[in-house]
Amino acid sequence: MIRRKGLHICLLGFLILSIGCVPMSRTTPSPGSPEDLSHCYAIFPAKPWESVHRIEATLGGSFSSLIGVTKGEPSERRLQSILLSPEGFVLFDAELREDGVAVRKAVAPFDSTAFARGLMEDVTLLFLPPKVNPAIWKKEMDGTMICKWEGLDNSHVEITGSMDSGWRIVRRDKYGEVTKEIVLSGPFLNGLASRIEYRAFKPAPYTLRMTLIQASP
Amino acid sequence: MKKFVFLSVLITVVIFFPEIVPAQDLTSLKEAFRNIRSVKAEFLQKRSLQILTKPLLSEGKLFFSMPDSLRWEYLSPLRSVMLRKGNNIQIYNFSDGIWKPELAQAVESRRMVLAEISDWFQGRFDESKAFKPSYSPGPPERVILVSREGINKFINKIEIVLSVRPGVIDRVEIEEPGGSRTLIEFKNVEINSSLPSEVFEKP
Repeated sequence: MIRRKGLHICLLGFLILSIGCVPMSRTTPSPGSPEDLSHCYAIFPAKPWESVHRIEATLGGSFSSLIGVTKGEPSERRLQSILLSPEGFVLFDAELREDGVAVRKAVAPFDSTAFARGLMEDVTLLFLPPKVNPAIWKKEMDGTMICKWEGLDNSHVEITGSMDSGWRIVRRDKYGEVTKEIVLSGPFLNGLASRIEYRAFKPAPYTLRMTLIQASP
Repeated sequence: MKKFVFLSVLITVVIFFPEIVPAQDLTSLKEAFRNIRSVKAEFLQKRSLQILTKPLLSEGKLFFSMPDSLRWEYLSPLRSVMLRKGNNIQIYNFSDGIWKPELAQAVESRRMVLAEISDWFQGRFDESKAFKPSYSPGPPERVILVSREGINKFINKIEIVLSVRPGVIDRVEIEEPGGSRTLIEFKNVEINSSLPSEVFEKP
Protein backbone atom coordinates (compact mmCIF):
# COMPACT_ATOMS: atom_id res chain seq x y z
CA MET A 1 0.00 0.00 0.00
CA ILE A 2 2.80 2.33 0.95
CA ARG A 3 4.60 1.30 -2.25
CA ARG A 4 1.45 2.05 -4.30
CA LYS A 5 1.02 5.44 -2.62
CA GLY A 6 4.64 6.25 -3.43
CA LEU A 7 4.00 5.34 -7.06
CA HIS A 8 0.99 7.67 -7.15
CA ILE A 9 3.08 10.52 -5.75
CA CYS A 10 5.72 9.80 -8.37
CA LEU A 11 3.10 9.80 -11.13
CA LEU A 12 1.58 13.00 -9.78
CA GLY A 13 5.02 14.61 -9.65
CA PHE A 14 5.73 13.48 -13.19
CA LEU A 15 2.38 14.85 -14.34
CA ILE A 16 3.07 18.23 -12.72
CA LEU A 17 6.56 18.32 -14.23
CA SER A 18 5.16 17.38 -17.62
CA ILE A 19 2.63 20.21 -17.50
CA GLY A 20 5.39 22.58 -16.43
CA CYS A 21 7.45 21.58 -19.45
CA VAL A 22 4.68 22.05 -22.00
CA PRO A 23 5.33 25.28 -23.90
CA MET A 24 2.81 28.06 -23.22
CA SER A 25 -0.03 27.66 -25.67
CA ARG A 26 0.14 30.41 -28.25
CA THR A 27 -3.08 31.90 -29.46
CA THR A 28 -3.56 31.22 -33.12
CA PRO A 29 -3.44 34.57 -34.84
CA SER A 30 -6.91 35.54 -35.93
CA PRO A 31 -6.78 39.04 -37.32
CA GLY A 32 -9.88 41.15 -36.90
CA SER A 33 -11.73 42.97 -39.61
CA PRO A 34 -9.52 45.20 -41.80
CA GLU A 35 -11.66 48.29 -41.09
CA ASP A 36 -10.86 48.01 -37.35
CA LEU A 37 -7.09 47.74 -37.83
CA SER A 38 -6.52 51.50 -38.01
CA HIS A 39 -7.98 51.88 -34.47
CA CYS A 40 -4.97 49.96 -33.11
CA TYR A 41 -2.87 52.97 -34.14
CA ALA A 42 -5.16 55.67 -32.74
CA ILE A 43 -2.80 56.54 -29.87
CA PHE A 44 0.22 57.00 -32.09
CA PRO A 45 0.53 60.38 -33.83
CA ALA A 46 0.47 59.85 -37.60
CA LYS A 47 2.05 63.16 -38.66
CA PRO A 48 5.12 65.09 -37.44
CA TRP A 49 4.48 66.42 -33.94
CA GLU A 50 6.10 67.89 -30.86
CA SER A 51 5.07 67.77 -27.23
CA VAL A 52 6.06 69.09 -23.82
CA HIS A 53 5.23 67.05 -20.71
CA ARG A 54 5.57 67.69 -17.02
CA ILE A 55 7.16 64.50 -15.65
CA GLU A 56 7.04 63.33 -12.06
CA ALA A 57 9.47 60.43 -11.73
CA THR A 58 9.66 58.03 -8.80
CA LEU A 59 12.60 55.66 -8.73
CA GLY A 60 13.72 53.63 -5.73
CA GLY A 61 11.90 55.89 -3.25
CA SER A 62 13.40 59.05 -4.76
CA PHE A 63 11.29 61.67 -6.48
CA SER A 64 12.20 64.08 -9.25
CA SER A 65 10.34 66.62 -11.37
CA LEU A 66 11.37 67.11 -14.96
CA ILE A 67 10.15 68.58 -18.23
CA GLY A 68 10.12 66.22 -21.21
CA VAL A 69 10.24 67.58 -24.75
CA THR A 70 9.67 65.12 -27.58
CA LYS A 71 9.54 65.58 -31.32
CA GLY A 72 8.45 62.83 -33.67
CA GLU A 73 8.65 62.06 -37.39
CA PRO A 74 6.45 58.93 -37.56
CA SER A 75 7.02 58.20 -41.26
CA GLU A 76 10.78 57.97 -40.66
CA ARG A 77 10.40 56.40 -37.19
CA ARG A 78 12.50 59.25 -35.78
CA LEU A 79 12.15 60.63 -32.27
CA GLN A 80 14.10 63.30 -30.45
CA SER A 81 13.74 63.45 -26.71
CA ILE A 82 15.02 66.14 -24.34
CA LEU A 83 14.83 66.12 -20.55
CA LEU A 84 14.97 69.49 -18.81
CA SER A 85 15.26 70.44 -15.17
CA PRO A 86 12.39 72.64 -13.90
CA GLU A 87 14.67 75.67 -14.49
CA GLY A 88 15.16 74.63 -18.12
CA PHE A 89 18.66 73.13 -18.07
CA VAL A 90 19.09 70.39 -20.65
CA LEU A 91 19.92 67.21 -18.74
CA PHE A 92 19.55 64.75 -21.57
CA ASP A 93 19.16 65.08 -25.33
CA ALA A 94 19.03 62.08 -27.64
CA GLU A 95 17.66 61.08 -30.99
CA LEU A 96 16.31 57.73 -32.11
CA ARG A 97 17.08 57.08 -35.75
CA GLU A 98 16.96 54.11 -38.06
CA ASP A 99 20.59 53.28 -37.18
CA GLY A 100 20.17 53.54 -33.39
CA VAL A 101 20.27 56.08 -30.58
CA ALA A 102 22.48 59.18 -30.86
CA VAL A 103 23.04 60.95 -27.53
CA ARG A 104 23.73 64.67 -28.02
CA LYS A 105 23.99 65.69 -24.37
CA ALA A 106 23.77 63.83 -21.07
CA VAL A 107 24.44 65.22 -17.61
CA ALA A 108 24.85 63.03 -14.49
CA PRO A 109 22.83 61.09 -13.33
CA PHE A 110 21.38 60.77 -16.84
CA ASP A 111 24.70 60.03 -18.58
CA SER A 112 24.80 56.22 -18.66
CA THR A 113 24.31 54.16 -21.80
CA ALA A 114 21.69 52.06 -20.01
CA PHE A 115 19.67 55.18 -19.16
CA ALA A 116 19.80 56.42 -22.77
CA ARG A 117 18.72 53.04 -24.13
CA GLY A 118 15.97 52.65 -21.52
CA LEU A 119 14.58 56.15 -22.00
CA MET A 120 14.46 55.86 -25.78
CA GLU A 121 12.75 52.45 -25.44
CA ASP A 122 10.13 54.05 -23.19
CA VAL A 123 9.58 56.94 -25.60
CA THR A 124 9.33 54.50 -28.51
CA LEU A 125 6.76 52.37 -26.70
CA LEU A 126 4.72 55.50 -26.00
CA PHE A 127 4.85 57.26 -29.34
CA LEU A 128 5.76 54.82 -32.13
CA PRO A 129 3.66 51.79 -33.07
CA PRO A 130 5.42 48.44 -33.54
CA LYS A 131 6.87 48.10 -37.04
CA VAL A 132 4.54 45.27 -38.07
CA ASN A 133 0.77 44.89 -37.98
CA PRO A 134 -0.74 43.36 -34.84
CA ALA A 135 -1.13 39.59 -34.84
CA ILE A 136 -4.61 39.92 -33.33
CA TRP A 137 -7.08 42.77 -33.12
CA LYS A 138 -10.69 42.97 -32.14
CA LYS A 139 -13.31 45.64 -31.57
CA GLU A 140 -15.67 44.93 -28.68
CA MET A 141 -19.36 45.86 -28.72
CA ASP A 142 -18.68 48.90 -26.51
CA GLY A 143 -16.03 50.17 -28.91
CA THR A 144 -13.03 48.96 -26.90
CA MET A 145 -10.15 47.89 -29.11
CA ILE A 146 -7.91 44.96 -28.23
CA CYS A 147 -4.69 44.77 -30.24
CA LYS A 148 -1.80 42.41 -29.69
CA TRP A 149 1.63 42.48 -31.28
CA GLU A 150 4.21 39.71 -31.05
CA GLY A 151 7.89 40.52 -30.97
CA LEU A 152 10.69 38.45 -32.47
CA ASP A 153 11.94 37.63 -28.96
CA ASN A 154 8.50 36.28 -27.97
CA SER A 155 7.69 39.49 -26.10
CA HIS A 156 4.22 40.97 -26.52
CA VAL A 157 2.69 44.42 -26.69
CA GLU A 158 -1.03 44.70 -25.98
CA ILE A 159 -3.04 47.86 -26.46
CA THR A 160 -6.59 48.04 -25.18
CA GLY A 161 -9.08 50.86 -24.84
CA SER A 162 -10.79 53.65 -26.71
CA MET A 163 -10.58 57.42 -27.07
CA ASP A 164 -13.53 57.74 -24.68
CA SER A 165 -12.36 55.42 -21.91
CA GLY A 166 -8.60 55.89 -22.30
CA TRP A 167 -5.99 53.34 -23.29
CA ARG A 168 -3.69 50.82 -21.67
CA ILE A 169 -0.43 49.57 -23.15
CA VAL A 170 1.12 46.45 -21.64
CA ARG A 171 4.45 45.00 -22.57
CA ARG A 172 5.17 41.39 -21.54
CA ASP A 173 8.47 39.55 -21.73
CA LYS A 174 8.90 36.10 -23.25
CA TYR A 175 7.74 34.56 -19.96
CA GLY A 176 4.45 36.45 -20.13
CA GLU A 177 5.37 38.72 -17.20
CA VAL A 178 4.41 42.37 -17.41
CA THR A 179 7.52 44.56 -17.75
CA LYS A 180 5.82 47.88 -18.61
CA GLU A 181 2.31 49.17 -18.14
CA ILE A 182 1.09 52.51 -19.44
CA VAL A 183 -2.28 54.11 -18.84
CA LEU A 184 -3.21 56.93 -21.23
CA SER A 185 -6.03 59.27 -20.24
CA GLY A 186 -7.84 61.84 -22.33
CA PRO A 187 -8.69 64.30 -23.61
CA PHE A 188 -6.44 63.48 -26.55
CA LEU A 189 -4.81 66.32 -28.51
CA ASN A 190 -3.74 65.23 -32.00
CA GLY A 191 -3.59 61.69 -30.66
CA LEU A 192 -1.51 62.72 -27.62
CA ALA A 193 -2.92 61.82 -24.22
CA SER A 194 -3.33 64.60 -21.63
CA ARG A 195 -2.12 62.31 -18.86
CA ILE A 196 0.17 59.29 -18.91
CA GLU A 197 0.98 56.94 -16.05
CA TYR A 198 4.01 54.84 -16.96
CA ARG A 199 4.98 51.96 -14.68
CA ALA A 200 8.07 49.89 -15.32
CA PHE A 201 8.45 46.65 -13.35
CA LYS A 202 11.54 45.01 -14.83
CA PRO A 203 14.51 45.15 -14.69
CA ALA A 204 14.31 48.20 -12.35
CA PRO A 205 10.93 49.46 -11.13
CA TYR A 206 10.03 53.11 -11.65
CA THR A 207 6.99 55.25 -12.26
CA LEU A 208 6.57 58.27 -14.52
CA ARG A 209 3.53 60.50 -14.27
CA MET A 210 3.36 62.69 -17.34
CA THR A 211 1.05 65.63 -17.95
CA LEU A 212 0.83 67.22 -21.38
CA ILE A 213 1.74 70.92 -21.16
CA GLN A 214 1.87 71.84 -24.84
CA ALA A 215 1.51 70.05 -28.15
CA SER A 216 2.01 71.06 -31.78
CA PRO A 217 0.75 71.15 -34.42
CA MET B 1 26.25 133.50 -11.76
CA LYS B 2 25.21 131.38 -14.78
CA LYS B 3 28.05 128.98 -14.00
CA PHE B 4 26.84 128.67 -10.41
CA VAL B 5 23.27 127.89 -11.51
CA PHE B 6 24.51 125.25 -13.96
CA LEU B 7 26.64 123.60 -11.27
CA SER B 8 23.74 123.66 -8.80
CA VAL B 9 21.46 121.98 -11.33
CA LEU B 10 24.11 119.37 -12.12
CA ILE B 11 24.70 118.58 -8.43
CA THR B 12 20.93 118.36 -7.83
CA VAL B 13 20.51 115.96 -10.76
CA VAL B 14 23.37 113.75 -9.63
CA ILE B 15 22.13 113.60 -6.03
CA PHE B 16 18.45 113.04 -6.67
CA PHE B 17 18.52 111.14 -9.96
CA PRO B 18 21.60 108.94 -9.74
CA GLU B 19 20.10 106.41 -12.15
CA ILE B 20 20.67 108.62 -15.16
CA VAL B 21 24.43 108.52 -14.56
CA PRO B 22 25.60 105.29 -16.17
CA ALA B 23 28.26 103.14 -14.58
CA GLN B 24 31.60 103.33 -16.31
CA ASP B 25 32.78 99.79 -15.67
CA LEU B 26 32.17 96.70 -13.53
CA THR B 27 33.67 98.34 -10.42
CA SER B 28 31.39 101.36 -10.53
CA LEU B 29 28.49 99.05 -11.39
CA LYS B 30 29.13 97.22 -8.14
CA GLU B 31 28.75 100.58 -6.38
CA ALA B 32 25.28 100.94 -7.91
CA PHE B 33 24.29 97.64 -6.27
CA ARG B 34 25.79 98.59 -2.89
CA ASN B 35 22.53 99.82 -1.42
CA ILE B 36 20.65 96.64 -2.34
CA ARG B 37 19.77 94.64 0.77
CA SER B 38 16.93 92.58 -0.66
CA VAL B 39 15.10 91.97 -3.93
CA LYS B 40 11.63 90.58 -4.48
CA ALA B 41 10.35 90.06 -8.02
CA GLU B 42 8.21 88.00 -10.34
CA PHE B 43 9.65 86.56 -13.53
CA LEU B 44 8.59 85.16 -16.86
CA GLN B 45 10.94 82.65 -18.45
CA LYS B 46 10.86 81.87 -22.18
CA ARG B 47 12.81 78.74 -23.06
CA SER B 48 13.46 78.41 -26.79
CA LEU B 49 14.66 75.02 -27.97
CA GLN B 50 15.51 74.24 -31.56
CA ILE B 51 13.11 71.31 -31.64
CA LEU B 52 10.17 73.38 -30.35
CA THR B 53 8.11 75.63 -32.60
CA LYS B 54 6.82 77.63 -29.63
CA PRO B 55 8.95 78.57 -26.61
CA LEU B 56 8.25 76.93 -23.28
CA LEU B 57 6.92 79.53 -20.84
CA SER B 58 7.50 79.34 -17.08
CA GLU B 59 6.44 81.79 -14.40
CA GLY B 60 7.84 82.26 -10.96
CA LYS B 61 9.02 84.45 -8.11
CA LEU B 62 12.41 85.29 -6.69
CA PHE B 63 13.49 86.55 -3.32
CA PHE B 64 17.05 87.63 -2.53
CA SER B 65 18.50 88.87 0.73
CA MET B 66 22.08 89.99 1.33
CA PRO B 67 24.54 88.36 1.34
CA ASP B 68 23.65 84.84 0.23
CA SER B 69 19.97 84.00 0.72
CA LEU B 70 17.98 83.19 -2.40
CA ARG B 71 14.61 81.68 -3.16
CA TRP B 72 14.01 80.92 -6.85
CA GLU B 73 10.52 79.50 -7.26
CA TYR B 74 8.61 78.27 -10.30
CA LEU B 75 4.85 78.43 -10.12
CA SER B 76 4.10 76.98 -13.57
CA PRO B 77 4.22 74.71 -15.52
CA LEU B 78 6.02 72.83 -12.72
CA ARG B 79 5.88 73.96 -9.12
CA SER B 80 9.42 73.80 -7.86
CA VAL B 81 11.59 75.83 -5.50
CA MET B 82 15.33 76.23 -4.98
CA LEU B 83 16.38 77.62 -1.60
CA ARG B 84 19.79 78.91 -0.65
CA LYS B 85 20.84 80.17 2.74
CA GLY B 86 24.60 80.37 3.06
CA ASN B 87 26.00 77.03 2.05
CA ASN B 88 22.72 75.25 2.66
CA ILE B 89 20.89 74.37 -0.58
CA GLN B 90 17.47 72.74 -0.72
CA ILE B 91 15.29 71.92 -3.72
CA TYR B 92 11.66 70.81 -3.51
CA ASN B 93 9.08 69.81 -6.08
CA PHE B 94 5.36 70.07 -5.43
CA SER B 95 3.42 66.90 -6.15
CA ASP B 96 0.26 65.27 -4.79
CA GLY B 97 -0.35 68.27 -2.55
CA ILE B 98 3.01 68.15 -0.76
CA TRP B 99 6.56 69.43 -1.25
CA LYS B 100 8.94 66.57 -2.00
CA PRO B 101 12.75 66.97 -1.70
CA GLU B 102 14.77 66.65 -4.89
CA LEU B 103 17.52 64.02 -5.38
CA ALA B 104 20.75 64.94 -3.56
CA GLN B 105 22.77 64.78 -6.78
CA ALA B 106 20.44 67.25 -8.47
CA VAL B 107 20.77 69.62 -5.49
CA GLU B 108 24.57 69.69 -5.75
CA SER B 109 24.47 70.48 -9.47
CA ARG B 110 22.47 73.65 -8.73
CA ARG B 111 24.87 74.97 -6.06
CA MET B 112 27.00 76.88 -8.55
CA VAL B 113 23.95 78.26 -10.36
CA LEU B 114 22.44 79.68 -7.17
CA ALA B 115 25.77 81.18 -6.10
CA GLU B 116 26.11 82.91 -9.49
CA ILE B 117 22.58 84.34 -9.31
CA SER B 118 23.22 85.59 -5.76
CA ASP B 119 26.34 87.40 -7.05
CA TRP B 120 24.34 89.08 -9.84
CA PHE B 121 21.95 90.70 -7.36
CA GLN B 122 24.96 92.21 -5.56
CA GLY B 123 26.60 93.44 -8.75
CA ARG B 124 29.52 91.07 -8.14
CA PHE B 125 29.86 90.13 -11.80
CA ASP B 126 33.66 90.26 -11.70
CA GLU B 127 33.87 87.58 -9.01
CA SER B 128 32.50 84.77 -11.16
CA LYS B 129 34.65 81.67 -11.46
CA ALA B 130 32.58 80.27 -14.32
CA PHE B 131 32.27 83.36 -16.54
CA LYS B 132 34.45 86.18 -17.83
CA PRO B 133 32.49 89.43 -17.49
CA SER B 134 32.50 92.56 -19.62
CA TYR B 135 30.48 95.77 -19.40
CA SER B 136 28.51 97.47 -22.17
CA PRO B 137 27.23 101.01 -21.41
CA GLY B 138 24.26 100.64 -23.75
CA PRO B 139 21.66 101.93 -23.39
CA PRO B 140 20.45 99.71 -21.93
CA GLU B 141 23.44 98.96 -19.72
CA ARG B 142 24.37 95.32 -19.81
CA VAL B 143 26.87 92.87 -18.42
CA ILE B 144 28.03 90.13 -20.73
CA LEU B 145 29.28 86.92 -19.12
CA VAL B 146 31.22 84.68 -21.47
CA SER B 147 31.64 81.08 -20.33
CA ARG B 148 35.02 79.85 -19.26
CA GLU B 149 36.37 76.38 -20.12
CA GLY B 150 34.09 73.63 -18.79
CA ILE B 151 30.88 75.61 -18.46
CA ASN B 152 30.96 76.41 -22.20
CA LYS B 153 29.65 72.90 -22.88
CA PHE B 154 26.31 74.10 -21.47
CA ILE B 155 26.24 77.89 -21.87
CA ASN B 156 27.92 80.15 -24.44
CA LYS B 157 27.15 83.46 -22.77
CA ILE B 158 24.77 85.28 -20.47
CA GLU B 159 23.66 88.87 -21.00
CA ILE B 160 22.32 90.68 -17.96
CA VAL B 161 20.34 93.74 -19.02
CA LEU B 162 20.11 96.39 -16.32
CA SER B 163 17.23 98.68 -15.49
CA VAL B 164 17.59 102.46 -15.24
CA ARG B 165 16.89 101.92 -11.52
CA PRO B 166 20.29 101.35 -9.90
CA GLY B 167 20.88 97.79 -8.81
CA VAL B 168 17.88 96.40 -10.65
CA ILE B 169 18.10 93.70 -13.32
CA ASP B 170 15.52 93.96 -16.11
CA ARG B 171 16.18 90.69 -17.88
CA VAL B 172 18.69 87.88 -18.38
CA GLU B 173 19.40 86.28 -21.74
CA ILE B 174 21.17 82.91 -21.80
CA GLU B 175 22.62 81.51 -25.02
CA GLU B 176 23.54 77.83 -25.28
CA PRO B 177 25.59 75.85 -27.78
CA GLY B 178 23.32 74.57 -30.53
CA GLY B 179 21.15 77.69 -30.68
CA SER B 180 18.85 77.18 -27.68
CA ARG B 181 18.10 80.33 -25.66
CA THR B 182 16.47 81.34 -22.39
CA LEU B 183 15.05 84.77 -21.66
CA ILE B 184 14.11 85.67 -18.09
CA GLU B 185 12.20 88.93 -17.68
CA PHE B 186 11.72 90.38 -14.21
CA LYS B 187 8.68 92.44 -13.26
CA ASN B 188 7.16 94.05 -10.16
CA VAL B 189 10.65 94.35 -8.68
CA GLU B 190 10.69 95.49 -5.06
CA ILE B 191 13.96 96.63 -3.55
CA ASN B 192 14.85 96.49 0.14
CA SER B 193 11.49 95.25 1.39
CA SER B 194 11.52 93.20 4.56
CA LEU B 195 11.77 89.46 3.86
CA PRO B 196 11.28 86.96 6.71
CA SER B 197 14.14 84.44 6.97
CA GLU B 198 11.80 81.46 6.59
CA VAL B 199 11.26 82.48 2.95
CA PHE B 200 14.75 81.05 2.39
CA GLU B 201 14.37 78.04 4.66
CA LYS B 202 11.01 76.43 3.94
CA PRO B 203 9.25 75.62 0.68
